[in-house]
Amino acid sequence: MAEIAGDETPPLPSSSGAEESSLLSSPPSPTAISGDEPPPRTRKPGTKRLVLTASVLLSFLVGLPLLLKSTEIHRSPLPSDAIADLSRRLQSHPPSFPCGLHAVFLRSGPGSPVASLADQLERAISTQHHLLPASSTAGNISVSVTIQSGGGCTSSTAAASPWRCGLLTAADSVRDDEVFDELLHSALGGRDGDGMKVYTIVIAEDDDGKGTRVVIGKHRHAWVVGKVDEAEALSLIGNVFIKYFMNGGIEEGETGIGKGEFMPVGSDGNVVLSFSLLNADPNDWVYDWEFKNIGERILTPVVEALRPVADINIESQVLYHTPKSSYSYSDDKLGGNVLSMGDIPFFVNSNEWHLDTSISATGRSKVLQFVVYIPSARECPLYLQLPDGELSKTNAFISPMWGGVVIWNPPGCSVGSKKAHGTRRQMSSQELMETLEIFIGQLRQLFGLKPNYHAQGMDVATKFLVSEKGFAQWELDLLYRHHACSNLLSCVATLESLSSLVQSLPRMIVMDEIGRQVELSLEAASLAQRNATLGIGDSSAGKFGTHFIAHVRWRL
Amino acid sequence: ARALMMPPSTARRLCFLSLLLLLLLLAAAASATADAAAAEEFTEELLLRPLPDRKALAHFHFRSSAPPASAAGRHHHLFPKAISQLVQKFHISELELSFTQGRWNYEQWGGYDPMSTNNAKPPGVELWAIFDLPLAEIDATWKNLTHTLSGLFCASINFLESSTAFSAPRWGFKLNEGNLRYGALPREAVCTENLTPWLKLLPCRDKAGIASLLYRPSVYKGYYHSQKLKLKSSQSLGIILDQTLTVVLQPNTVSGKQLHSTGGQLQPSWSMEHLFSKKLSGKCLVSKSSRVFVEIEKGIVDNVDKAGSDVSSNNDLFVLSTAPDRSLKELDNLEVQSSSLYEYDVNNYNSDKPLNVGITWKLPLIWSCTRAPYHASRFLMGSGNERGSIAMSFLSTGLDKQLVDSSNDCSIKAVVFQVVPWYVKVYYHSLEVFIDGNSKAISEVVDKIHVTPSEDKLLPGTMEMLLKFPCSMQLATLTLDFDKGFLHIDEYPPDANQGFDIPSALVSFPEFNSSRSYPEADPLFVSPLLENFKEDGVVKSYTEVLLVPLTTPDFSMPYNVITFTCTVLALYFGSLLNALRRRIGEEERGLKKLLLGNCNLHCFSLNLKC
Repeated sequence: MAEIAGDETPPLPSSSGAEESSLLSSPPSPTAISGDEPPPRTRKPGTKRLVLTASVLLSFLVGLPLLLKSTEIHRSPLPSDAIADLSRRLQSHPPSFPCGLHAVFLRSGPGSPVASLADQLERAISTQHHLLPASSTAGNISVSVTIQSGGGCTSSTAAASPWRCGLLTAADSVRDDEVFDELLHSALGGRDGDGMKVYTIVIAEDDDGKGTRVVIGKHRHAWVVGKVDEAEALSLIGNVFIKYFMNGGIEEGETGIGKGEFMPVGSDGNVVLSFSLLNADPNDWVYDWEFKNIGERILTPVVEALRPVADINIESQVLYHTPKSSYSYSDDKLGGNVLSMGDIPFFVNSNEWHLDTSISATGRSKVLQFVVYIPSARECPLYLQLPDGELSKTNAFISPMWGGVVIWNPPGCSVGSKKAHGTRRQMSSQELMETLEIFIGQLRQLFGLKPNYHAQGMDVATKFLVSEKGFAQWELDLLYRHHACSNLLSCVATLESLSSLVQSLPRMIVMDEIGRQVELSLEAASLAQRNATLGIGDSSAGKFGTHFIAHVRWRL
Repeated sequence: ARALMMPPSTARRLCFLSLLLLLLLLAAAASATADAAAAEEFTEELLLRPLPDRKALAHFHFRSSAPPASAAGRHHHLFPKAISQLVQKFHISELELSFTQGRWNYEQWGGYDPMSTNNAKPPGVELWAIFDLPLAEIDATWKNLTHTLSGLFCASINFLESSTAFSAPRWGFKLNEGNLRYGALPREAVCTENLTPWLKLLPCRDKAGIASLLYRPSVYKGYYHSQKLKLKSSQSLGIILDQTLTVVLQPNTVSGKQLHSTGGQLQPSWSMEHLFSKKLSGKCLVSKSSRVFVEIEKGIVDNVDKAGSDVSSNNDLFVLSTAPDRSLKELDNLEVQSSSLYEYDVNNYNSDKPLNVGITWKLPLIWSCTRAPYHASRFLMGSGNERGSIAMSFLSTGLDKQLVDSSNDCSIKAVVFQVVPWYVKVYYHSLEVFIDGNSKAISEVVDKIHVTPSEDKLLPGTMEMLLKFPCSMQLATLTLDFDKGFLHIDEYPPDANQGFDIPSALVSFPEFNSSRSYPEADPLFVSPLLENFKEDGVVKSYTEVLLVPLTTPDFSMPYNVITFTCTVLALYFGSLLNALRRRIGEEERGLKKLLLGNCNLHCFSLNLKC
């Protein structure tokens, strides 16, 4: 280096281009310098220069580790390979829950049924399952068939559910549906337990001439009454099983469970149902409600039923001076004030309705607001108008992930009704119960189920028994499956995005705590996936949170 | 005797009927009490009072109460859900949160009445709470509570979370078993964003009722305003939430309208409309009672008596614009009539007939308020950025002359409670007491003292002190020396050069009680506002907030360091490169060459020709 430094000379002002090029191409030698330049140096550069150069180099070399140390960033290693692996596994094998289908044929005729018939029927049903839509969360389905006739019972080899032979005959099906439902439940062992879910469809042959009808019970069974031949029975079994037990009656193209809808459950598994009674203008009338007794009584079974999916708390309050923020117009033909569908997005008045997020709902729990709106005398009665011009039957609407609103017109309110001048009244218990029923329907909708069923697409009369819990057992199964599935998918999505974020920002600090949380979540996700395939469904319904993301702090 | 004469069957029937009637009555009464116990209630009240310095005081009082129930915190009709959940979650047995702007003028506005002892608060935010929890859990709960309140009231109460910001007084503030925490933020700015969430706790907010008078521009134009939230919760009583707002306003009167517009006008005549630019048009419909009081102070009452007139709503000195529904006499704790109250039931007024209470003076009048026995004030001494002293002075107001017989061994007790942040390092041993200018031994004056010394960046210094002053004393001064600490550069607030605020000290006089009684009020007349006045109220006064200037670092220092370092580096590398690059010998030759410039040019031209 010293040598180069010694040889370096400023380029000369050249007289011609050729000379310059020759100067540049050939290494500059003392001879190339013309005589009028200062004479070339005669001795080699001394050691002083060498020492100086070395000291500069050395100081850089000494400073380098210090520089690296001072700009070092702590990054906890994230198991990105394991995350990618899990996500690949989930993509190739979406989480699926094994379940069973048990078909029971109640024959009225005498004589013992042929054993081979059961096996034959089993094969016939099994072949139908290619109908299963891809979005369903159900995995492999084990099919079994039992045939009971006067002489006894025959089961196919893989009978999964205990059928108490002879407890129930085809003649029982003429009884009341509720009674038959309970009888059937006890005949099937009377348990709604965990483990693999087995759905039973009973074909009761009964030739009373009333035609065929299908009844779907409160538990995991349905039954078909009427004179049906074998092929028809097989198609009915497939239809009922796939359409209702697997997909909750949600058609293709409809929004609902499993169709990209999220469940309104906080990532810590808590939900607060906040019920509010809004008196739009207390100068006209003030209504109060007995929510504590009636509300708790009606809602407790629902809360209990949903416990495996979410921990639900119930709160209520009464608010005053809470006008709506959209305009309604008076319609003489309909005899009241009408609010069209287009105005609904502006109905909730967030300035005046201080519904409050609950203090008791900590951190990441979800608050669902259910609001009873009592219109003022000026706008009473207030109706919701459907796009087709009809009035809404329930006078209520929902807002996904937020909650629902019911407009309740107080009794005796009509156009031009007189102000009651601040009289305080109670909402009668009958009216409160009706309102709460609407709310339970809204809750079902918020969870992605249908508020109620119409026998669409079924060519036979279908009846649904309504559970006092608001949710039938098979609907709850559907919710568990979907909840576990969506939890698992959202967890993996979060992990994946976190891992790609960390990879894309090489200067981001990753705390040890985050690394630990990621590992914990990954472990929980793998466990949940394994449990799902084993069929240990709802207990594993992944209550692992994706909460660690909140801790991620980075500096850019 | 008549019953005896009646046939036995009639008598029996009568007996049966009366029994039945009695049973029915009992059942009705039982159900009535059950209803009363189970229902949530809300009351609203407003007290107006003319002040001697041409101002007027308005005190709003709202009480919501929730019965004790298993469903507390979950189902509510009137009581705010948020507060109930707060009480449940943090196991609060008592809590008081006040937001204050301005300073209560103890000299002019009174220092010896329930208003000043309970509702005069130090500037900024003051929060104290008593928890129903094991002692070990209290600090953690306090921290969570500050964060929740901070979110609830849109204020930076969360700054009280740090252990340097709160203290646990044992007896100087309020007697407790170690489950009380106290914190104050003297510099918190209070404005509408704090009032709106406070109003949200009322069932009618400011849409109807007395709260509708709270017209923001007039409230915040005032000389003093203090909004307070006081909670009491117990298993037997449920939760009682008292929300008060105390404002001192200058009545916005037009001089032409005044009765005495000429010259010697001392007091402006005013009405509600002048104070709030609004009239009261009806009550909040869900409130149980809704009342407005006008309080006429003892100073005026004495003057009216002197003038030989009866203290009614229309007398020789003043007239109230609306005839009151009821008038009450207040007796202070010495059973002397102190003031008069005129009550208006808002139930009787509506939007067609709004209530606009006002006072019109017939004669110019000068009066003064009753004051606390001593006027306490606190100030700083010393100069420079290293050390200083805190001095606290007690100036006798002459009240003791009227009250206590000045014998030799008589004394007046005073309790001082003050919290000092850690960066003001107080030397408690340096406490000196001067009485009427003479230095006294500490043991002569200080009866009891409890000091928690401050720890750097960990604990504030707390001092609780019980003093005993001789009755004949005119002026007492206490001084304490302190050193100013150094803070880390990150710990300075954005406006560090302004100085640091030290929260107000609280001085209470345990021998003086400001409670009032109302002998003429009928027992069915229930007013939470007057109940608060009846409560045992030890006379208290807050001192000023101290502003301590601390040494502030040169905040441009990092920049200076960077520039200096860069200059040094540039010099080093510059000279180094120079040394490496330059050839002294060649330059010398170059110089020679310059001298021979002509020859050089000649040679160059020769070279070209060649």
